[in-house]
Amino acid sequence: MKTKKRILLFVLLLGTAMSYAQDLLTKLDSIEQGQDLPTLATFKATRISIGHSVETRKKGVLQISSMNRFWNDTVRSSQSFAADKWNARLGLEYGISDRITVGAAYGSGYQSIDAFFKYRWLRQQDTGKKFPFSLTVLQGAVYRNKATEILLGDLAFEDRLGFTTQLLIARKFSPNFSLQLSPTFVHKAEDGLLSGESASRLALGIGGRYKVGPHVSVVSEYYYVPDPITVVETYGAFALGVNWEVSDVMLQFKLTNARNFVEDKFITKTVNNFNFRDGNLHFGFHFTYVIHTQKR
Amino acid sequence: MLRIKTVLFFLLVSCVSHAQEAGSFFTRQGTVTFFSYTSVENIKAENNQVLSIIDPSKGEIAVSILMRAFVFEKALMEEHFNESYIESDLYPKATFQGNIQDFDASGVGSQTKMISGNLTLHGITKAISIKTNINRVNGVYTFSGELELLVKDFNIRIPPILSPNIAKTIMVKFSFEYDETYEN
Repeated sequence: MKTKKRILLFVLLLGTAMSYAQDLLTKLDSIEQGQDLPTLATFKATRISIGHSVETRKKGVLQISSMNRFWNDTVRSSQSFAADKWNARLGLEYGISDRITVGAAYGSGYQSIDAFFKYRWLRQQDTGKKFPFSLTVLQGAVYRNKATEILLGDLAFEDRLGFTTQLLIARKFSPNFSLQLSPTFVHKAEDGLLSGESASRLALGIGGRYKVGPHVSVVSEYYYVPDPITVVETYGAFALGVNWEVSDVMLQFKLTNARNFVEDKFITKTVNNFNFRDGNLHFGFHFTYVIHTQKR
Repeated sequence: MLRIKTVLFFLLVSCVSHAQEAGSFFTRQGTVTFFSYTSVENIKAENNQVLSIIDPSKGEIAVSILMRAFVFEKALMEEHFNESYIESDLYPKATFQGNIQDFDASGVGSQTKMISGNLTLHGITKAISIKTNINRVNGVYTFSGELELLVKDFNIRIPPILSPNIAKTIMVKFSFEYDETYEN
């Protein structure tokens, strides 16, 4: 009996002692903070490697980008490493709001002008009102001045146009790892001119990044086209690269089989496979610089 | 049996008296601002959502700072701060817990005291002392002051190419205005 009482007493005393021990910091921890903060930096740039990521530029931010691909000629025997030929795209992107980014660019390869509109619709949120993924909608259009390799001759204005619609769905699984799925619809007017070919095509992109250091990540992308064009043999666009960002500069290095920059072209009409042969191995280098036109 | 009842009675009384002395002071809108001054660029970030609580009777203070709530002038800088330097996914909060030395809880007006305690930032805990101005007007406490922190003390890595842009010593200013709270 006496022991029981002692135990009771001990438990009671312990109970009071514990309520003492509930210190101030524990009290603060029980108060929720930062309920409405969406997950930051699923990717660090508006491109994973060759294709668009869910990221948009913040309001008032202007991005200047120079995208380059170098590769070797198959006919000439040259001594240079993957630098006989060069294709480039010079572009601007501007954040109208934190959710809307518009962009325009000039491409050297087909003397093309392209423009796009990107809307950051849904954002992943890991705290408070949780939401599992981010969704961004991309609509792009391109006009190519130079005739393509398939259709030589004079094309009407409307036949030189290409359109791409993408749903970019991404999730940041951990601070280091993000994955994106990109269902894509492409309409290339010139393809519709070929007998038996459709101008419209569906594709699915998958891309990811793995952060290997505070400023460095390894990225990869692949685009699958279930019903490709039959006139020429095409291959899924693939890229393996390293992104390095520091301050206002982002450098993206990659090995890829895609030599074009605008979505409609490289997603559905990459005509060489990914390997190390001349003409197939492309070295890509993107330089991106960000300017804050307004301070908060 | 009588003794047990007496002990229980005293325990009950002590519990009640504790509930009464819960007169701690609290703020949700504390301000913490930090500055990095170099010849290349000046960086400033401000957080207006800092939580803090003080218990004047014991001279204790606790502060909880959400790293994501720091607002920078440049949006990209804010992203880099969270993503590459402070790693707020892994270490979402900085906390401080300390004691106010020789605190005169009944004093009205201004007093300058040292607060010493432990600061945890980027997963690293360091003992620090902060000279703090404490002001009490109409039952409202205001704590304000400055401190300097060394970037290397908290294992925050700055790439060599950016070392001219980010100061080795970060200046931190704080200001908390506490209201009385009865929540325990």
